[in-house]
Amino acid sequence: MTSLNELTIEEAIIGLKKREFSSVDLTKDCLSQIEKVDKKIKSLVTVTGEQALVDAQWADKMIKDRGAVIFEEYPLLGIPYICKDNFSTKGVKTTASSNVLKDYVPPFDSTVVERLKEAGAILLGKANMDAFAHGSSTENSDFFTTKNPWDTSRVPGGSSGGSSAAVAADMCLFSMGSETGGSIRGPASWCGVTGLKPSYGRVSRYGVVAMASSTDSPGPITKNVVDAAYVLNVVAGKDPRDATSSPVREFDYTPEKNISLKGIKIGKPASYFNIDLEPGVRKHVEDALNTLKNMGAEIIEMDLLDPKYSIAVYTILQRSEVSSNLARFDGIRYGSDRKKFGFEAKKRIMLGTYTLSSGYYDAYYAKAQKVRTLIKNDFEKAFQNIDVITAPSMPCIAPKLGESDKSPMFGEMIDLLTEPSSVAGLPGISIPCGFSDDMPVGLQFIGRFNGEKNIISVASLFQKGTDFHKSKPQL
Amino acid sequence: MPNNQISEEDIKKFAELSDLDVSGQESKLAELLSSTIDYVKTLEELDTSNVEETFQVTGLTNVFRDGGSEDSLTKEHALSNAGEQVSGLFSTKAVFHR
Repeated sequence: MTSLNELTIEEAIIGLKKREFSSVDLTKDCLSQIEKVDKKIKSLVTVTGEQALVDAQWADKMIKDRGAVIFEEYPLLGIPYICKDNFSTKGVKTTASSNVLKDYVPPFDSTVVERLKEAGAILLGKANMDAFAHGSSTENSDFFTTKNPWDTSRVPGGSSGGSSAAVAADMCLFSMGSETGGSIRGPASWCGVTGLKPSYGRVSRYGVVAMASSTDSPGPITKNVVDAAYVLNVVAGKDPRDATSSPVREFDYTPEKNISLKGIKIGKPASYFNIDLEPGVRKHVEDALNTLKNMGAEIIEMDLLDPKYSIAVYTILQRSEVSSNLARFDGIRYGSDRKKFGFEAKKRIMLGTYTLSSGYYDAYYAKAQKVRTLIKNDFEKAFQNIDVITAPSMPCIAPKLGESDKSPMFGEMIDLLTEPSSVAGLPGISIPCGFSDDMPVGLQFIGRFNGEKNIISVASLFQKGTDFHKSKPQL
Repeated sequence: MPNNQISEEDIKKFAELSDLDVSGQESKLAELLSSTIDYVKTLEELDTSNVEETFQVTGLTNVFRDGGSEDSLTKEHALSNAGEQVSGLFSTKAVFHR
């Protein structure tokens, strides 16, 4: 029999509605899985088991008293999840995996956590990440390195590495991550799970430890695409506390019934495939494109600006915004003083200080913002003729632990296929599309600004016809 | 773009500006930052002479909220993570020196 922690959100809701099992059963199975496997995977910084069981009892009482109809009011009632440790959680330590915030206990909830709470979801714990989200391997955590559940000698990716590994290892039903350059799609790809990076502004940044404020985008990491839509339905929407949050949203992000890929135009950008892709990644992504074609989609050869420019734009903007955002850590109101910053954070703050300093601002920061305009326009032009764009999520499978140390720009280089859409604020989703050397390969779909529903629909149709997303690592 | 490599002297200056202690790491930082700056020079290949900056992508302008107040943190909550506090206030090091 399947353990309850292995269920998808959709399956669990059906079971809870029919009272086949309780939220306490579901939560207990997740907590036992954490107990069993997280010694090895090390995806969690904090576990909130006691409170989770209290919340689960409350959920069960609500379901018992009010019946299945309660899910209209609480769409994620009794569903256990894990949250990246950069989302503020009232009364629960929020460290951003950094020594600076090692003992910080926020007196308020981030909007995402508040909305999940109001929807009845149950917080199981907080996930490890690269400290302050600086990195793409989770090796930059100030505490410990998370391992990839498919092969513990490899990285899970980052910065949402703990969140992705926890979903892959069935420690929860879903998790929350955040992406600035590739931090949801990257680790989702390497851990063989579904990662949705919404449009910038689609999900509130309020209460999320800021990295690069002009691209930070919170989003769900799930076991399939439909589940990602369930979570997006809860967390999306205007938040008066985040002035950049979007005032418009779809009423429902779950894919319509009876849709098909017939007539859907999927763009295949030459510059995203003419790079040094690992042969296994190329093969499985090409196979996936054939599958999409056989399902009725039209694959259209097209092109976009060389992603190398996005790496440079992203590097300048990210360093600049980091230097400004991390200036707030002075040890006066919260956190420790600036002596506790790790080397990676120092390196980024220093470069950002340089690119924003007088005499260099125009050459670097302003130039990068102008090139960002070119990237944005380039996408807009492309979307005049196509519905979604596809590419590998990452150019390779998850590297061995320690590889990231060998390049000073590891994260920027490895995220080259996700950075362009990130700097343009576009939504993207990564789903598993095969296995190379027994490691998951990720395929991504990029959509128009605020076009989450399109990429969700296309990705869900791919999952209807394939079962890569159902494979589980041997733990 | 400026062609200068970042020197250890520059590193000391940025460290002061950003209030960071980098003693012993100056040469490594100078090397890493120089190589990153080298990389981003690739942007020079693109002509941006008639291009406006995109500082944010939402297209939203003049976002206001209704006037009025709402509940905020209590003093106890606001001070709950303070490094040091005195008489219900945050305590800081002196900023001005005689």
